[in-house]
Amino acid sequence: MPELPDTRQTLLAKVGDSSNPEAWREFTAIYRPAVYRLARRRGLQDADADDLAQQVLLVISRKIADWRPTSPQGAFRRWLATIARHAIINALTRGHNVVAEGGSGVLQQLQNQPDRDTSLADIEEEFRRGVFRQAAESIRPEFQESTWNAFWLTAVEGLPIEEAADTLGKSTGTVYASRSRIMRRLKDKVQELEARQSEQ
Amino acid sequence: MSIHPATCDPAVLELYLEGQLSDAEQARLEAHVATCANCCTKLSNSAADDSWWQDASRFLPTDDWDGPPSRQYLDTVAPDANLDTTTDRRSLLKRLSPWLDPTDDPHMLGRFGGYEIAGVIGEGGMGIVLKGHEPALNRYVAIKLLAPHLASNGAARQRFSREAQAAAAVLHENVIAIHRVDQSQGLPFLVMPYIGGVSLQKRLDEEGALAIPAILRIARQIAAGLTAAHAQGLVHRDVKPANILLERGVDRVTLTDFGLARTVDDATLTHSGVIAGTPQYMSPEQARGDAMDGRSDLFSLGSVMYAMCTGRAPFRAETPFGILRRITDDAPRPIREINPEIPGWLESIVFRLLAKSMGDRYQSAAAVAELLEQCLAHNQQPTRVPLPEIPPFPQPIRAAAPPRGRSLGTTDLRYRALWIALTIAVPLIAGIALYDQFWPRTPLPLNTQATAPTAPTGTLASESFAEPDAGSEDTSLWHDGVAGTLDDIQATLRQIDTDLDPELAQETQE
Ligand SMILES: [Zn+2]
Repeated sequence: MPELPDTRQTLLAKVGDSSNPEAWREFTAIYRPAVYRLARRRGLQDADADDLAQQVLLVISRKIADWRPTSPQGAFRRWLATIARHAIINALTRGHNVVAEGGSGVLQQLQNQPDRDTSLADIEEEFRRGVFRQAAESIRPEFQESTWNAFWLTAVEGLPIEEAADTLGKSTGTVYASRSRIMRRLKDKVQELEARQSEQ
Repeated sequence: MSIHPATCDPAVLELYLEGQLSDAEQARLEAHVATCANCCTKLSNSAADDSWWQDASRFLPTDDWDGPPSRQYLDTVAPDANLDTTTDRRSLLKRLSPWLDPTDDPHMLGRFGGYEIAGVIGEGGMGIVLKGHEPALNRYVAIKLLAPHLASNGAARQRFSREAQAAAAVLHENVIAIHRVDQSQGLPFLVMPYIGGVSLQKRLDEEGALAIPAILRIARQIAAGLTAAHAQGLVHRDVKPANILLERGVDRVTLTDFGLARTVDDATLTHSGVIAGTPQYMSPEQARGDAMDGRSDLFSLGSVMYAMCTGRAPFRAETPFGILRRITDDAPRPIREINPEIPGWLESIVFRLLAKSMGDRYQSAAAVAELLEQCLAHNQQPTRVPLPEIPPFPQPIRAAAPPRGRSLGTTDLRYRALWIALTIAVPLIAGIALYDQFWPRTPLPLNTQATAPTAPTGTLASESFAEPDAGSEDTSLWHDGVAGTLDDIQATLRQIDTDLDPELAQETQE
């Protein structure tokens, strides 16, 4: 039987509040909503989905200390995906939903379709969504409200450029310029976050 | 470098996208782009290719699967209880303006009761908390006032003032001091020190479950503060993380909002039937509208401790009424299913506090404070200070449907075996140091845990994370395998870990 490593120490040193709370915060900001959404997509209620996300993060917070940076590229993400996936499947097969009040019918329906599974593709998608959203949130303060809105209205909410220009009282050219500038920044930030996450 | 945007220079466009132009250059370029369709297209294309624009429109909008925009409820007194938007703030100030006197100080919003008002700390239930400056003493204070719309409600006004007086009589290091109770232009208010710490709520939101020493320290101080209040015959009635302020980490805990918010809420509740704020930490007797005493605060303390152990409140539902129903009817999910690091004795303390019947709880805050003090001493010096006697509190069975396709009787043993096995196996294989100083010295689950699996749908956290063979889709196979021996399970788990991370597994074998 293996010796028990003193992981408590390393865990605290790595992601605990002592050394690098920022890293942990960024990590949870990306992955917690991702797990939450995956659970919701499979029919869990808000409270249960939140629960599950919390649990997955708890487990990860413990296990992450054992992660060696020397692990092959992308292995961490795969490992994370596996945990998330099985946590969700287990939660569903166990009848995790005890919140009741209208929710159990939906859940039962989902449970009776065992073939409809949370696929790794779904998980990848939610992880990427998490990264995008975290990136957007973190760069937003760098821009003025009106610049940001030019991007958001057109690139995210799909408003035609002319309409957005009208709404914002700007020329279409300015809307083009503003949203392009933010898009570039967003892209850089997403790549930066992705790189940092796969380094873990 | 000189910039001639009129030439539609791609290099300049690139500098613009990278945010490298000066403000003047940037303005000039934007003016040019406004008239140049060519540059518009070029900018969009070189900012990022199509797939990025598509991803932005796909990932950034909110949809049905997103959680509520803010899980936090506005709270009444914590200094960090920020109003969400400037709009909220503005509308609140507008409502308040008839009560504010003008000020000469351009940095201040107005005057109230002789204080310069520097800002709005928060608004919740039935009160508003302002940040004020007291020129004579050159100190900041928190001023809590009855919401103006209740000012004409005589009963609410009277109770606010009476309870404020009572709270002012409690002098204790863990209870917020009250400098003054008064009224201005018919609006009752009280003045407290402005504490620059964070609320426990905020800490939980940001960090989730706390470490065991922090849980014990905070809980002990809350119990001590409650002891002082109860000695004055005052029941807090609204013990919750948002009302607990932390300074210097967890060294200094201050209980705020004594008997105030909920008193006023109760007054409104009887009139309108509407519950203000979150009832998540209410006691069952409070939820039912029955008589309360100090033991009701102890129930709320139990809920707060539960939240510190697991990162979330014990009773949750989509609506306030759903929460109340769960408080009165449901057993919370076992703490150790959510956070296996919590020792059985701590779970027992919390569950005794959470007993539905007041008579089953600890009978005084003083007893709880003393017990927690001993636990803390033991936690700090496990070899020298013995753990006090903590009889396991029987965990109530949750009211819930049995798992699909299984009958209770036959699965009990298996679940139990699973639970016991995984409690041991998962930490070992995963290399989680559960057997540290906080883990009970007996490796096998204690009495409290032994009863847990009889709740068949109790969700087994350890199980959730045992990561079945990534190749096997059939989770029932996984369940069935569990009836086997501990060795089998350990071997399986070791295999899983190896599959997931060969290097890690090698290292742990060494
Ligand atoms: Zn041009």
